[in-house]
Amino acid sequence: MASHRHSDPPSDPALRVKALESLLTEKKLLEPAALDALIELFETKIGPRNGAKVVARAWTDPTYKKRLLSDATAAIAELGYSGMQGEDMVVVENTPAVHNLLVCTLCSCYPWPVLGLPPVWYKAAPYRSRAVIEPRAVLKEFGLELPESIEIRIWDSTAELRYMVLPERPAGTEDLKEDALAKLVTRDAMIGTAKVAGPSR
Amino acid sequence: MPVLTKDMVASLVATGGSARVNEAVTPKFKKGDTVKTRNPNPTGHTRLPRYVRGKVGVIQSDHGVFVFPDASAHGKGPAPQHLYTVRFTAREVFGPEAGAKDAIFADLWDAYLDPA
Amino acid sequence: MNGIHDLGGMHGHGPINSEANEPIFHAPWERRVFGLLFTMFSGGYCNVDEFRHAIERMAPAEYLSTSYYEHWLHAMETLLIEKGVIQQRELASKWAALGKGQM
Repeated sequence: MASHRHSDPPSDPALRVKALESLLTEKKLLEPAALDALIELFETKIGPRNGAKVVARAWTDPTYKKRLLSDATAAIAELGYSGMQGEDMVVVENTPAVHNLLVCTLCSCYPWPVLGLPPVWYKAAPYRSRAVIEPRAVLKEFGLELPESIEIRIWDSTAELRYMVLPERPAGTEDLKEDALAKLVTRDAMIGTAKVAGPSR
Repeated sequence: MPVLTKDMVASLVATGGSARVNEAVTPKFKKGDTVKTRNPNPTGHTRLPRYVRGKVGVIQSDHGVFVFPDASAHGKGPAPQHLYTVRFTAREVFGPEAGAKDAIFADLWDAYLDPA
Repeated sequence: MNGIHDLGGMHGHGPINSEANEPIFHAPWERRVFGLLFTMFSGGYCNVDEFRHAIERMAPAEYLSTSYYEHWLHAMETLLIEKGVIQQRELASKWAALGKGQM
């Protein structure tokens, strides 16, 4: 079924969203302050720092890691992260033999509570088309070259499960505490397009 | 219908809305079963990507019962059924040029799968 | 549907353009679009599957030439009209009124 449009929308999306917001507000279907609160939440509270704390906890607490890999939703909730676009979480573990990579080929599914909103490249056609068919070439563009001996596991989020990669703890971090470890963990390492680098010397 | 107010925001985001359905539905498959994806070409909504249609894979895990989007997108209710992660070898999906050890995992509902 | 959104395995979409220190939103209007999505769900105007399908129904050329939040905007306009929450002519008058204000 095609969309039926009776008049072309203006080219300026700012004008279009303003029109929609104004129309819904006039109809008393929208409270603009609720939008402000929502946006603020995602701009200040929800982002990859949350996921990094989960990773650092898993690196330092083997029993937590076990819980994280068997029931990720509950283990992530232990640290206070839950909800929208992370209602049913799965965490997949990188090892010296296995590298995991996340993608959503159909849209832009992404684990909001732990990683925040996805970057533009994750939602765009090049990554979504290529990650499944040529993961090594994709990873190379991110500066990560993996030998053929490593098994790449690509997780296409086709349903409402949301994935996060548990990256490998880098060498040379044996003395670091959880907080310092969390600072090393990047968004891309939890998507699988990067590894976590050790502390800079 | 309730208008979203400022006070509702924090709990709405922290709770979300799981697509899981608390209903007993008999699964068609179990972990380790070999399955073949169907090759439907519906004009409506589906979450079975073209690149994994008609492919053989193995059930990696059964996640329980979830809303079925192919029905839900068209006002046909949740049509709850089991959702599985299915593992396909990269070569099954993309041929001999794909990495020998690589695998693709997709989350697929009962209605997309046949025994193989 | 066999739509343009079903991108897995396609060739020809070019390199991945990752942006260093990417902001969460790239323009103020993107923030509003993001917020409006929740109104769609909490108002019961659509579910997530209907929302995704509304994006998938975009014309392929339009889908590829517009940004992510424009997809959302398209889906919200489409669904609010289809569900009878707003009328196409109301929206068109708003566009016209706001467009004049910007001149």
